[in-house]
Amino acid sequence: MADARTPPFRLNLGRFIVYAVLLFAVCFYGIPLLWLLLAGTRSQSSLFADPPFTIGTWDMFIATWNNLTTYNNFQIVSWAANSLIYSVGGVLLALVASIPAGYALAASEFPGRKLILVVTLIAMITPSTAVVLPIFLEMNLLGLNNSYAGLILASGFFPFGVYLTYVYFSTSLPKGVMDSARVDGANRFELFTRIALPLARPIVALVAFFSFIGIWSNYFLAFVLLSDDKLYNLPVGLTVLISTSGALSNLPANDVPIKKPEVILAAILVILPVLLIFIVAQRFVRSGTLSGAEKG
Amino acid sequence: MSAIAATATPDRARAAKRKGRRDTRMAYLLLLPYIVLLIMFGVFPVAYAFGLSFVDTIENSFYGLANYDFVFNDFRVPAAAINVIWFVVIWVAMTMVGVATLSLMLDTVGRRTATTLRTIYFLPGAVTSSAVVVLWLFLLDPGVSPFQGLLHAAGWTYSIDVVSGLGLASVFALMAFFSASGGWIVVFGGALSSLPTEVLEAARIDGANRFQLATRIKLPMIWRSLVLMGILSFAAGLQLFVEPQLMGLAGPQSAQNDWSLNQMAFQYAFRMGDFGASAALSTMLVSTSIIIALVIVFATRFYKLD
Repeated sequence: MADARTPPFRLNLGRFIVYAVLLFAVCFYGIPLLWLLLAGTRSQSSLFADPPFTIGTWDMFIATWNNLTTYNNFQIVSWAANSLIYSVGGVLLALVASIPAGYALAASEFPGRKLILVVTLIAMITPSTAVVLPIFLEMNLLGLNNSYAGLILASGFFPFGVYLTYVYFSTSLPKGVMDSARVDGANRFELFTRIALPLARPIVALVAFFSFIGIWSNYFLAFVLLSDDKLYNLPVGLTVLISTSGALSNLPANDVPIKKPEVILAAILVILPVLLIFIVAQRFVRSGTLSGAEKG
Repeated sequence: MSAIAATATPDRARAAKRKGRRDTRMAYLLLLPYIVLLIMFGVFPVAYAFGLSFVDTIENSFYGLANYDFVFNDFRVPAAAINVIWFVVIWVAMTMVGVATLSLMLDTVGRRTATTLRTIYFLPGAVTSSAVVVLWLFLLDPGVSPFQGLLHAAGWTYSIDVVSGLGLASVFALMAFFSASGGWIVVFGGALSSLPTEVLEAARIDGANRFQLATRIKLPMIWRSLVLMGILSFAAGLQLFVEPQLMGLAGPQSAQNDWSLNQMAFQYAFRMGDFGASAALSTMLVSTSIIIALVIVFATRFYKLD
């Protein structure tokens, strides 16, 4: 039975099917992404005439880049700046709101705690898209439509971050350390700032990671709340770029410099920050967090 | 001794009470920013939309159930409901079968191979919202698509042939699956690697092969999580908006402006200026989500951590 414990590697039908399916999935997930990144370097005519995985030239890339960035008085640059403002503001607000809240829910017992927890869970499970139109109706009432503040406030509400922090502190807060700090005369606020916050570094990173991804790529809420094109973020800007130039409809050509390559480059701009964060986080997850999870 | 104890006890009780009160005050203080946001963007919008749904927002008067009546009698609404249900059925089926199959298969190959493949499956998660639709409009265009061989083989020359050949519900399901399933595969990779080794070892000694191990031992052990994923996808799918809304980017002939329920709610508010009707439809959509959330929270006892 010794070989039953470690089955020998045999290329039978079963293994063949497993590898065939996994390879098919590599094509399904990998080819579109690879194509997109390569297509960003190619010209309009190359996209139609050359094989799909042709790499373009540096000159083509620069020409596309110039067309895209200078279009409409550097509009895409200001949209990228807006995206950055919404993301940084939203992530900071999400952290300021959810880290202390998650800590309080985990570390103390008080009337209303269970209610807040249950409402938080419901808000977390309810898809954020379900409340976009109600939020629009409310913002319309408050006059916060079409402003940086409105979108930042709305994206700072991040119940999942509260839940993650709550789980983290519930399972990792050393009761002994807290008690001895209390005996040493630390008051409740110092307990949070001196003991809990330094311990919270991994959870701060995790909440920032998830909220950034959500806010950076938020289309629906931004689309509904913002009507002034100076305030658009990149995901909304990308669609405006396409609808004003007609770059994706194969209609008769016009003289707008936004063609397919420019659209592809703009789409890459939308996804690149999240893609880079994924790649960095991948290494981070493999090295640090997993060992912590095993101990927990 | 007993006298000291007798005087000490009420003191200690009072001190404990005072400490408890101060703890409570501190907890509320720490919760304050979050509670403000929770009320502003969780509780209030839902309640406000609910209230608004009984108001004639054009005449500004109480309207009873007339908004609901209006929504139900709009022939586009049942059509949109059927569209969304088709999308959700296809997407949830794809997600459950696809994620379970790929996760179980990855669990049988070498660790390094599995990690690399999982990364490749996970990266499209970066392509979200409008970018995923734009990318797929390219992928479905036989003129430029990297899959053009496949599309030509199916006899499709223009993207409109591809879309009508596959059906809109399947096209949206493909877009959503492409972007959302990799994250779940990572989650289930973690879940499978933490299954108790004794059970797997025992099954192996009893002569189970890899296939039996996957379908009879591992699958039942992750089944509850798979169902939870299915329910979460179902709830998210009902709210479909971005994918159909952006089809028009491929040209006016591809536009689908009233394909999903959320699009209808959007149309009422933005095209017709009828906030009451928009609120009525939104209220129904949000209520469905909240009911699903309540079922999950109380069926899985999510909140029971301590």
